[in-house]
Amino acid sequence: MDSSEMNEGEIHQIDSDDVIKEEDETENEEGEDLTEDAEALKAELAKIVVHPPSYEQSLMEEFDQAEFSPSYKDNLPKENLVLQYAENFRRQMVQLYRDRKPLFLNPVNECGVEKFVCTTIRPTLLEFKELYNWDGAAEFVADYLNIEPLKPEYELPKRLISPSTVLKRQKGNCFEYSTLLCSLLIGAGYDAYVISGYATKETCLADESRDICPLLKKKEEVQEEARKKEMKKYNVKPPRDLRSKFELKQEAKKEAEKQAEKEKQRKEEEERIAELEKPPPDPYFGLRIHAWVLVLSGKREVPENFFIEPFTGLSHPMDSSNYLGIESVWNNVNYWVNMQDCSEGVKGLSFDLGDSTVWEFMFPNNDKPLLKIPDAEDDLNDMDDDEHIEHGKDDEEHEVEKYLDMPPSWVDALKLSHRDFQMRCPHGKKTKVYKRAKLEKFAHYLMKDGLISRLSVYEDRELTDLMKVHEYYAHRSDKLTQKLTNHRTGQVCENFDPGRPRCLKEHQFKSSTPGPENERVMIFYHEARVDGLVKREETQTEMTEEYSNRDDFLFYKYVEFGKRAKKFGPQETSSANKGRPINKMIQKFHRNRNKPANEDIAEIIFHVAEDKIHISYHTEDVRIAASTREFLKPPNWDEKGAVLTFNPEMHQTFQVDPMLPMNKQVELYEMLMELLKAEEKCRNEVRDSQNEVRNILDDRTKEEAASELDISVYDTERNEKAKKHRRELERQQLEEKMRKQEMDIDYLAPFLAKIGNPEKLSKQQAFSLKEECLADLKQRLIDKANLIQARFEKESQELEKKQAWYQQNQVSMGKEDEEEYLTYCKEAIFRIHILDLRLTRHKEQAPHKYMQLEQKLRNDERLSEFF
Amino acid sequence: MSRLYDTVEPAVIDEEMLKKAVEEQGPKEEAGKIAKQEGIDFGDVLSLRLDFLNILKIDNLWEFTKLTKLQLDNNIIEKIEGLESLVNLVWLDLSFNNIEVIDNLDSLTKLEDLTLYSNRISTIENMDSLLNLHVLSLGRNQLTDLENLRYLRRFKNLKTLNLSDNPFCKQDEYKQYVIAFLSNLEFLDYRLVDQQSRDAAIEKYQVSRDEMLHNEKQAEIKKEDETKRQQELEKHKNAYVELMNGPDLFEQMYAEDKEGQKLNEMPGLEDQLHSFKEKFMQICTQIFDFGIAEHEKREEEVKSFWECVEEAKQDNKRLGMVHIDEFTETKKRMLLEMSQMSDHKMVEQYARDYNDKIQVLWDKLMGLELQLVDQLEEVIKEFERNMQDMVGTFVENVQALLSQCRDLENNHHEKMMEIAIVTLEKVIKNELDDEISDDLKMLLVDKDTIINAVSSSHDVHLLKIDNKEDDIVTRINQSLKNLIEQIHQDEEITRNRMRVSEINNLIDHLREEMDNLEVMQN
Repeated sequence: MDSSEMNEGEIHQIDSDDVIKEEDETENEEGEDLTEDAEALKAELAKIVVHPPSYEQSLMEEFDQAEFSPSYKDNLPKENLVLQYAENFRRQMVQLYRDRKPLFLNPVNECGVEKFVCTTIRPTLLEFKELYNWDGAAEFVADYLNIEPLKPEYELPKRLISPSTVLKRQKGNCFEYSTLLCSLLIGAGYDAYVISGYATKETCLADESRDICPLLKKKEEVQEEARKKEMKKYNVKPPRDLRSKFELKQEAKKEAEKQAEKEKQRKEEEERIAELEKPPPDPYFGLRIHAWVLVLSGKREVPENFFIEPFTGLSHPMDSSNYLGIESVWNNVNYWVNMQDCSEGVKGLSFDLGDSTVWEFMFPNNDKPLLKIPDAEDDLNDMDDDEHIEHGKDDEEHEVEKYLDMPPSWVDALKLSHRDFQMRCPHGKKTKVYKRAKLEKFAHYLMKDGLISRLSVYEDRELTDLMKVHEYYAHRSDKLTQKLTNHRTGQVCENFDPGRPRCLKEHQFKSSTPGPENERVMIFYHEARVDGLVKREETQTEMTEEYSNRDDFLFYKYVEFGKRAKKFGPQETSSANKGRPINKMIQKFHRNRNKPANEDIAEIIFHVAEDKIHISYHTEDVRIAASTREFLKPPNWDEKGAVLTFNPEMHQTFQVDPMLPMNKQVELYEMLMELLKAEEKCRNEVRDSQNEVRNILDDRTKEEAASELDISVYDTERNEKAKKHRRELERQQLEEKMRKQEMDIDYLAPFLAKIGNPEKLSKQQAFSLKEECLADLKQRLIDKANLIQARFEKESQELEKKQAWYQQNQVSMGKEDEEEYLTYCKEAIFRIHILDLRLTRHKEQAPHKYMQLEQKLRNDERLSEFF
Repeated sequence: MSRLYDTVEPAVIDEEMLKKAVEEQGPKEEAGKIAKQEGIDFGDVLSLRLDFLNILKIDNLWEFTKLTKLQLDNNIIEKIEGLESLVNLVWLDLSFNNIEVIDNLDSLTKLEDLTLYSNRISTIENMDSLLNLHVLSLGRNQLTDLENLRYLRRFKNLKTLNLSDNPFCKQDEYKQYVIAFLSNLEFLDYRLVDQQSRDAAIEKYQVSRDEMLHNEKQAEIKKEDETKRQQELEKHKNAYVELMNGPDLFEQMYAEDKEGQKLNEMPGLEDQLHSFKEKFMQICTQIFDFGIAEHEKREEEVKSFWECVEEAKQDNKRLGMVHIDEFTETKKRMLLEMSQMSDHKMVEQYARDYNDKIQVLWDKLMGLELQLVDQLEEVIKEFERNMQDMVGTFVENVQALLSQCRDLENNHHEKMMEIAIVTLEKVIKNELDDEISDDLKMLLVDKDTIINAVSSSHDVHLLKIDNKEDDIVTRINQSLKNLIEQIHQDEEITRNRMRVSEINNLIDHLREEMDNLEVMQN
């Protein structure tokens, strides 16, 4: 608004205020004399307020009529008939149920032509597999369109735009949403209906801010029932419980009380919160018109009836409190009016559409005559006045002759391009607000980093205090699929699809300390890893690794690091890579059934700092204690090439079975050597692990910096490389074709040119052309033969000359010359031989060639008529 | 090959030679030094090489029980012997010797690799028990008969075979013959056998090969059937009703009853005999079925008993291990704290605490053990009672059924008697139509003889039935007694002693550890 206008407005306002004030004053002056009666009257009068009817500007969008096919602009006779029928039906309903709200029967379409609602449904099965199931279709409709709320919200819309147009303009009201969804569902084989009725404000306006985001709802965990311990005949009795029963009882009582108290508090709290979160009372409660979709059980293995809310794409149970009443229901073949009481919402309504006591059908050709009562129509007609009786009779005759069936839908086939389907939401983006959460959706490939949806969870309802962000990705070349950032704790959790190098599956770390040697958890796809690593957990001084399915039965490894020794001097950078010193390493192994338990190591602890190695063995089946062994490492163990000595004091053991013979010193010595090797190996593995972590982190940083999207080889639209390749192929093909064309030089052209390229050849011309052509070929063949002969002779002469020359000079020739001569002879003879062969072949082929040409001339279309 | 050793005297394997070889081939360097100091046990040696020693006779190897690899090549051994105790042998090399006969290898069932290259063997034989054989070398021997190679078919795992330089290698069909009849071979005479040549060879010997395969299959099926029958019988024996599902008992009754057999030839007895047999068999079958059913019941009972006992032991073990683990944790902590302490008194205090804790652990473990003993005792008692009941019912029922047999026999006996007398009368009156055998005639002389004969037959029959009954009852009672005794012995006494000694051993070790530590600190 302009500022000048504003001022003017204000001035007007002030003016009028003044006037009112004056009036007030006068009233007040008079009011002083008013009696109590008058006061009462005044109060009474004050209650009567009239609102001048404000002219509702019809906000109907205009459409370009030219782009619609004729069926949109006109009605077929049959459609007119149906419309009349519907009008009649409406009138009967009005007659019979005077206080009923009008039915939604024949709104105008985008071209201003009245159309019956059933014919607006156009059952379609689109080529996208996601739309084959109801949830996919509902989600698509909810995503693809933008909502236009009804205006006013308590009146039926005047216009119902066809689903094809709705798809094009990507917005619509609830009726258009439902009609589109219904078209898709019926097309996919569901028993779906559009419902016209009443709903709560939140539902009508698609306000989900009071609902928990469906993505956040925890899936009901299928709890595995603890396997009941079978009572067997010989189960031993548990030891007797010697505690006081009474005390136990008292204890339990107290505990129960406490529990109850807590429960109560919790409930109160919950109630309080629920009270707070209740929506404010709605003045139009129960009047807000809404349309949604009903799916009946039976087809497509739907086990029970349910509603689909088109705005959200979610299913609701039959007793949903969001829906407050149903006026009518229709699909592409019939229209039913609800005759049941909806004072308690939709709870308890019967959806047996064949039962004409609860559902008044419009067309008798009900394809589900479940409970058809033949008298219903007659009764209805009998009660009508004369005119209607006549009408009814007409109808009846109609029925007897043939049922009036629904004309085909006037709507053009629904079309959806692949691109539009993938873009999903208008412009590929959509934001939804839920209770304490915000969901943003993006089309695939829309965002550079492959983001497809982002769910932000907030602490408060005003969405200001961010708690955590859940991001979903697709098509990333680094296989990142999910990223959960907890803004409270700074914890980040990334999930990956299989297919990464090093098989990372999940990575949890703190965003504040992303570098190596910090707290983190990495989970791997252990099936794909050679070392079977399942999980690696790190803190600043520890690292724990878990393995599975290893041949050496290792399943656990724990490492404790010491502080990095500080080095003074300039080599700070090189020492940083050396890794921290290791204080302690623990390896645990599963039982290897091939070895006796007493020799099967369960746990090795390398006390690196103390030069000690401690071994625990597995427990034998019949025993409860495990054997242990402890070695002190020889003092010079880390010297290379040194002879390691051993004496019995370096070894201590506890054997569970004292009867077993003691190990020999040699065995112990060899065991110690093995252990030293194992320690070295373990240390190397730890270093490798550290390097791997570092590499993974490096990779992640690189990937984050330049996130690339993978394009499937089957995605012809996006795959630039494939496109290029295809174009290249096409180009090559074209070139090939061109070349072929060039190859196909018209052999008759020079002869035709000679006689001046006539449009049509006369017989004589044709004959002479043929003669000429053949003669030409003959000449050429002979020429060629002559040519070969000439060359042959030339070669032979030369050879003879050379031979003569050789014979003359043979005596005076050196060895080299002689050799040269010999090679020359060989080559010359070879050439002569070839020429000879060529001539023979030419002689053989020439007649064939001649015949071929003759044949070709005979078959040539320009000459064929004469031969 | 020129033998350098020809001049040397033929040797015998003796202590000295073995010691030398073991020391030479044993651990090296430091480990070798330690081993030498300590002495090497022949029983621990895993591999031994005794080549180029001019050995004539294999001997003195009985101590090497763990040996898996033995090389005796390039000697002058003439006879395979002295290897019986080396049952763990996997690899045996006897190449370049003077062996003439394959023999004395039966105990080496684990043998996988056998080399007899360059010997004087003329027949492949005496290797039936070497079923694990993978590699066999018989090159440069005196094998002449190709047919003899079929002997090698029994070695299903044989993949590598060397037969080169034998007399039969000169025959044209040698190679194809070997491949056709030993089609599992992968390597023959140092070469890979490819699929093509295998197919060709098989095609060539198709007919005889098929016949051989067929025969083998038949034999196999027969063997399987035999083992199956054996198993079945074994099962029936375990149920104490073996052979009761056939006419065995009935036949046994007549087996030692020659007079009865004769008497059965009496005319007019056939129907009677037939129906008697049928009824008798019926009861036998009843006994059999009942016996099998009872046996299964008992098996089930025993199984569930063992399951429960095992479970109880496992639970107990778990609890015990938890206690030990807990203690180990506290021990670690305490030792760490003690090592950092300097105050002598405090250390002593700690040591006392530690000793108390050991005592507590002992109490706990012993308590658990006592609990388990009680539990097991109760369960075993119950099991014993139930088993006795079951055996009792079984015996009773069998006895009842057998007394039915006896009744049948009595009945039969009466009928026999009647018929015998009638027949006797007929014979006396010479009214007998049919011819009767002389044996029978001998009996049909007077009343006493015939009555005696019939009675004695009857007695034999009753005796057989009684014997059967006795057999069943004593066997089942005996085996029950054995079972219960064994359970008492194993589960109560042995197990308990073992566990108690284990606990004490552990506690002693823990105390000792502490003492050592104190000594060290002092």
